[in-house]
Amino acid sequence: MGIALIAGAGMAGRACALTLRRIGWDGEIVLVGDESTHPYDRPPLSKSVIVGTADMDKVVKPAPETYAQDRIDLRLGTRVEAVDAAARTATLSDGTALAWDALVLATGCAPRRLPIPGLERAHRITRMDEALALQALLAEGPRRLAIIGGGFIGMEAATAAVAHGHSATVLEAAPEPMSRPLGREVAAHVLRWAEARGVDIRAGVAVEAVTDAGVVLAGGEVVPADIVVAAVGQAPRLELAEALGCAITDGGVRVDAGLRTSVDGVWAVGDIAAFPSRWADEERIRVEHAAVAIGHGQVAAEQIALGEGLFEDLPTFWSDQGDLTLNVVGVPRPDDEIVWRGDTQTPACTAFYVRDGRMRAALSVGDMKTLRGVRKLFAAGVEPPPAMLADPAADLAALAAGG
Amino acid sequence: MAQVSIGSLDDFAEGELTRVEADGTALCVVRVGDRVHAICDDCPHAEASLSDGDFLSDDMAVECPLHGSSFNVETGEPDCPPATEAVQVYPVTVEGGDVLVDV
Repeated sequence: MGIALIAGAGMAGRACALTLRRIGWDGEIVLVGDESTHPYDRPPLSKSVIVGTADMDKVVKPAPETYAQDRIDLRLGTRVEAVDAAARTATLSDGTALAWDALVLATGCAPRRLPIPGLERAHRITRMDEALALQALLAEGPRRLAIIGGGFIGMEAATAAVAHGHSATVLEAAPEPMSRPLGREVAAHVLRWAEARGVDIRAGVAVEAVTDAGVVLAGGEVVPADIVVAAVGQAPRLELAEALGCAITDGGVRVDAGLRTSVDGVWAVGDIAAFPSRWADEERIRVEHAAVAIGHGQVAAEQIALGEGLFEDLPTFWSDQGDLTLNVVGVPRPDDEIVWRGDTQTPACTAFYVRDGRMRAALSVGDMKTLRGVRKLFAAGVEPPPAMLADPAADLAALAAGG
Repeated sequence: MAQVSIGSLDDFAEGELTRVEADGTALCVVRVGDRVHAICDDCPHAEASLSDGDFLSDDMAVECPLHGSSFNVETGEPDCPPATEAVQVYPVTVEGGDVLVDV
């Protein structure tokens, strides 16, 4: 028993606190989050929240009274400022001193800062208050958006905006946006689908400044905009882990499959955790997606309460781009060979990521049957040859079942 | 809990998902043989209507149309990510061909 201090009330921290109680742990739980909003699902921010279609009761969840009912001491608008691993104490940003027996680092990511003059004028959508501020502006009528950054967040915001009558230009420095997470070939299709929905994508452009008129590119061209959004990426917040002396590796906090850091009594979960995954040849990976964050929080809770539990889930994430939903399972690498199944025009298709002749990941859009089959193949450890993956007549679920 | 009639057994086709409003609650209803199952129609994971998805008879589960998590109609538990929360299950009884749900 004792006191569990959870630093960070994002999806991983929230899951950890709620799971501790759900599995019957009776110690004290302190959940510390630096936002003023009660814990919420972050994925809708760049999608339904900014365009005002989100049902906020389903985004901000569980209901605020749950924390008192579950005896979770939720400290909003507060950060864990300092920690001492030897004394097992912490100091919060409001000056409160706390003791802890288990410490869960769920500090997430901070938005990347770029040295672009005027960038502070741009809207960010990494936090609820920021997304609601953009929502209020978009509610006033059709607007011209310039979105700096063509990653998942930028593309989601752009496709959501155009689906609701706004115009959106995405400005991306890389010549081939989305190619790092998805590989060049799949990324090119994803961009084409977004363009077909009315998003203007300008790749390989350098942003010089953000002004009242819009975004100034290298060479002097001004992309006119009523609203500028910066979706320029994020970096793990490692300060607390470093202060504790936790081993850092691959850009994150080094943990084992039980999310234990190198410091006794300290766990790291969600965006910051570099964890070994059997889905990535036992290499350590960091995943900045919701399903993994929640799974991590749950496993850390089991570790604290029961002394057991390993995170072995197949990594999965999704990206809603207007009326299209990309579902990704497994761990794709940019240099994987791509095998397609289905129609990439509609689109109703799946891209299989193949490495050494084996399926390692899949991105599926408009094709739930194949997605379901892929999940079953991974679960069963069945690896059909690529030609069979590409064959729309091959029943993947039946293959998984040994048929 | 109130027991609400949502129609007769014949109104529901085998294995087809139907969205039904019962006493202000949106349900996703499916008939399997002479039994009827009802779960909350809102996907607990993200914004989707489960009755727009598919019924997977082999798994006795409803698959969300957006992100593909499937939920067992008897327990409400998700069978696969990205969903991590169970969907609420509502008890159903069939009496003389009448389908009654406790909501």
